[in-house]
Amino acid sequence: MDIKRDWWKVLGVIMMLYVIVAGILIPMKPGILDHDGKRVESGDKLIVNVNSYNTHFDEANYINAYLLLPTDELLPAVSYEVVNAAAIAVSFDIPNNIIKDNSDKIDCNLVIDNELDGYIQYPDAVTIIQSTDYKEIKNVELKPLSSLQHVDDFKFPFRPIIYETVRNTFFHVAIWMAMFIILIVSCYHSIRYLVSKNLSHDHKSSALTSAALVFGIAGLLTGSMWARFTWGTWWTNDVKLNMTSIALLIYCSYWILRTSISDIDTRARLSSVFNLFAFVALFILVMVIPRMTDSLHPGNGGNPAFGDEDLDNTLRAVFYPAIIAYTILGLWIAQLTVRYYDAKDKIELMSYNKSL
Amino acid sequence: MLQRIYHIAKRDLTLEFRQQYSFLSALLYLVAITFIVYKVFGRIEPPTRIGLFWILILFTSINVVTNSFSFHSLKRKYYHYTLYRSYELIIAKWGINLLKMLIAGSVLIFLQSVFANESLKNIGLYSQVYFLGIVGMTAAMTLISSISSYSQNQNTLIAVMSIPLLIPILLIGMRLSMISERIIMDTEVNNYLLMLIGIDVVYVAMLIIFIPLTWKA
Repeated sequence: MDIKRDWWKVLGVIMMLYVIVAGILIPMKPGILDHDGKRVESGDKLIVNVNSYNTHFDEANYINAYLLLPTDELLPAVSYEVVNAAAIAVSFDIPNNIIKDNSDKIDCNLVIDNELDGYIQYPDAVTIIQSTDYKEIKNVELKPLSSLQHVDDFKFPFRPIIYETVRNTFFHVAIWMAMFIILIVSCYHSIRYLVSKNLSHDHKSSALTSAALVFGIAGLLTGSMWARFTWGTWWTNDVKLNMTSIALLIYCSYWILRTSISDIDTRARLSSVFNLFAFVALFILVMVIPRMTDSLHPGNGGNPAFGDEDLDNTLRAVFYPAIIAYTILGLWIAQLTVRYYDAKDKIELMSYNKSL
Repeated sequence: MLQRIYHIAKRDLTLEFRQQYSFLSALLYLVAITFIVYKVFGRIEPPTRIGLFWILILFTSINVVTNSFSFHSLKRKYYHYTLYRSYELIIAKWGINLLKMLIAGSVLIFLQSVFANESLKNIGLYSQVYFLGIVGMTAAMTLISSISSYSQNQNTLIAVMSIPLLIPILLIGMRLSMISERIIMDTEVNNYLLMLIGIDVVYVAMLIIFIPLTWKA
């Protein structure tokens, strides 16, 4: 192997290994799975049983539990009981004068904090209602937000519903991105063919399209698995799913077109045109229409796109290399296919010359 | 340019009048299927009626557009190539297909109203949606039929290649016509109409851009 010529393949293999190893092995940040927090009247006692994920309550020395009030102050728990590493029961005394303004109820986040895991929280876990009858005022000292312990470590963020499947970002999303990049390269070669009528460009563009089709099918499969674990079904009636499968059908018809025309030059010209047409149709189907209607995907139909909330720096450190790795893999597959096409052409030419 | 397009369209229409059987057979197909469906099922619920409408329009347009290129012998193609610019020819052909589909659609709407014994609830919106739908459909299918006219099995290829391209138009069209028939409520009618217009613009632009490339052999 010539390192100077094939360095990008080595880079691709290394990045691919990095993506698989880092994407599977880096642990998740701790978080709260579920709790039995509910509505409570001010002046009452409240006991919340919490189940958490990846936490170390049994090894931690300083555990604190709080309710985060809308005023950004923390109401500390009076006592707690550790069940095991991932389960804890905390009890609060809600002061009677906790609601300062005239509203009749407030929603509080549940925050649990220890020195090993840092703080974890669950949004809107407890609703405090203003009590109408007189109860003994229990004064509990509120603490500022700065009293929370923060642990800096390289772990993937914990998201409700998604949990461990956040790792699929490196496969599902990255495969789609790589497919788009490969299709853009394929369109570039189609245009080059239409301008220059050089058949090698046609070989390249059709090889790239077939690689992209493989990636598209892989993207659908990984997406289907992700949907099973987050939305509950293998296939939903989501607009992005429907439009994507239509786009893949269009690319399948590209292959039917290629196989149905026997003349090499006509086939190259028509399939180049259809390839450009299919790419524009794909762009409309996948990038434009889902953004205008309701969709379960992030970035569509009012859902937030990949922002800082979804894609934090730990995810980015694997996500961007994943896109590059898949793109290189696709280009490599295409290169091998092009060699196969060229060899086939040469053999045909040789047998034709022999027959003369 | 417009004059030349008009000239080509006029000549093609004359040819069409001489060989009426192709369009008439497409119309007969439409009428026969509608008749059979209504006779078999008796009464059809409004959502089924709209689905049936769009599927029949899809297959009729496949019939109509397939015929627009299949008459062409290679000799006539070369003759046209020397005489006209390719986009003039294709715009004329597309216009004729559009006209045929307008007639077919009116016939189908009339038939369905008669059989279902109730007229359309919002004729303005329905015809608007239908027009926008067939503009995109005929544009995409004219391009596809031009591409596949080089292959031996043209008819299968047109159906296979164009149906995926037409699905978005059909989906939006069905949704909009359901809104116009007051089967579902939706406040985003204008949004859907804009989407349909966008798809139409892209398909027509691609038809005009790509036809010269597929034309010359």
